[in-house]
Amino acid sequence: MTNQEIRELLKIFNESDVAEMEVQRGSNRLRLRRAETVKEVVVAPAAAALVATAAGPKPAVTEPAAAPPAASNELLVKSPIVGTFYEAPSPGAPPFVKVGDRVEPGQILCIIESMKLMNEIEAEVGGVITAQLTENGRPVEYGEALFAIRPR
Amino acid sequence: MFKKILIANRGEIALRVICACKELGIRTVAVYSEADRHSLHTRFADEAICIGPAKSARSYLDIPAVISAAEITNADAVHPGYGFLSENADFAEVCETSSLRFIGPTPEVIRKMGSKELARTAMAQAGVPILPGSKGILQTLEEALETAEKIGYPVMLKASAGGGGRGMRVVRSAEEMPHLLAQAQAEAAAAFSCGDMYMEKLVENPRHIEFQVLADTHGNVEILGERECSIQRRHQKLIEESPSTAVSKELRARISEALRGAMKAVGYTNAGTVEFLMDDSGNLYFIEVNARIQVEHPVTELVTGVDLVKAQIRIAAGERLETILPWRAASGTPRGCAHMELRGHAIECRINAEHPETLVPSPGRITGLNLPGGAGIRVDTAAYQDGVIPPYYDSLVAKLIAFGGTRAEAIARMKRALEMFVVEGIYTSIPLHQRILEHPDFVAGKLDTGFLVRTGILAEKK
Repeated sequence: MTNQEIRELLKIFNESDVAEMEVQRGSNRLRLRRAETVKEVVVAPAAAALVATAAGPKPAVTEPAAAPPAASNELLVKSPIVGTFYEAPSPGAPPFVKVGDRVEPGQILCIIESMKLMNEIEAEVGGVITAQLTENGRPVEYGEALFAIRPR
Repeated sequence: MFKKILIANRGEIALRVICACKELGIRTVAVYSEADRHSLHTRFADEAICIGPAKSARSYLDIPAVISAAEITNADAVHPGYGFLSENADFAEVCETSSLRFIGPTPEVIRKMGSKELARTAMAQAGVPILPGSKGILQTLEEALETAEKIGYPVMLKASAGGGGRGMRVVRSAEEMPHLLAQAQAEAAAAFSCGDMYMEKLVENPRHIEFQVLADTHGNVEILGERECSIQRRHQKLIEESPSTAVSKELRARISEALRGAMKAVGYTNAGTVEFLMDDSGNLYFIEVNARIQVEHPVTELVTGVDLVKAQIRIAAGERLETILPWRAASGTPRGCAHMELRGHAIECRINAEHPETLVPSPGRITGLNLPGGAGIRVDTAAYQDGVIPPYYDSLVAKLIAFGGTRAEAIARMKRALEMFVVEGIYTSIPLHQRILEHPDFVAGKLDTGFLVRTGILAEKK
């Protein structure tokens, strides 16, 4: 693979919006991956009021104010189900975790209540909680960001 | 009346229900999978909740996800659309226990209509003609031969536990019965661990005729005419129309009368469709009840002037048919007239994202879109320019419906509209529909489920 070819591949990659690309030519392999700027865009229930006069068929997706972009070394914990977020095991009890806490894989981070069932949401990685992205008692949808963790 | 309805569906039918809700002043909640994040129904609902990943089983078919979405948005009722959870009695039950009104029949009725045996029995008791068949499982070869004699060849042997074409054999004479029965039993035992067989009369190249039912929660039932859905490929409907050229006024009146009795006896409520096969002598045979709104409901809406989806919502809210169906109020008594009068003629083409000849699915981004309009044309679609038809769900892009004073006018309008329906970026079945509309047999109303193969428009798929 010549430098010229690599430059051309880079150009193609940059002009596209693919996140990752791997090209093999003979024994040479080039992998390009976009730096992760995770910006979660979800349509929160209360915020999804769509302007009636908006022109054109493109759907308007509103970002909830509470979801900041995670830094590239952070992972977002996303809700695997639809339900209501509770930060503590019961009302008045101390929350499972707070910002700054170190957590282990399997540690319970919160509860999502769905159809009267309390589902415990566990951390998949170990690390430090850097942000809580939703509020106690708020409804959450599938894929909504709950916490940011900086993995160990 | 409900304050907020959650639509447990996607695509054009979700949008259709949203339209009905808007007209009734009801707020709407859309649910969507990650693949449908930018779909049109999320755009026009008042609220939208992501309920899962692309796979239907984890999103649109995921009962806890849908119910949770209704809970967190405080919806009063759920409209299931068609497909997905619309005929899932368990889902209807969960809605009830979650204090959500399910816009459709009761779980018990859904279950009953979903059982072929129970539905056939109920219909037969009410005098609705059913497809002749064996009384349950065939116990012996002698019974099979006797039953076939009574029904008349050709007959179809079917596996009781089965489906998908396995454990099925067409038997055309008594000589064939012994070895074909044995074959079918062996195949069924291997595929479904159960060799039980039953028998039905085989109607070859039938017409597919279905009747629209509307029933309120106060015991009133009305039949809103029939639709002909004979143009099919592999049991997928391509074109539907109302009324059917093969159904006379007398036949319509007779069947409507019998169906009214049957559906009352069964305790049916809300919308439903009763499907029949028609043989080449014009005899109708009951096949099954679909306890939901159907894809092709617009053709009935146009020839009756009744908004069926709004009717569903109003029925679920407790309204009586006489406030929903205008002519009933005019005639005063609940049985004001023998049957609904159909005016004009409507035809629907299901425009699918597929190659018009190979019928290979063609999901992708729509780069150019011009929807036809003008006199007598209705388009029900969730497609838009730059929108994506995802590969995970059905391939329906749009329903194109043409209405005219006569069938000839409806055909002329449909042909004109198909010509002006431009979709770029994906293949669609529009050229296939055009070929069908041109064919003299279609114009003459010579329709049956073998139409596409018989006319050579589509080659026979082995």
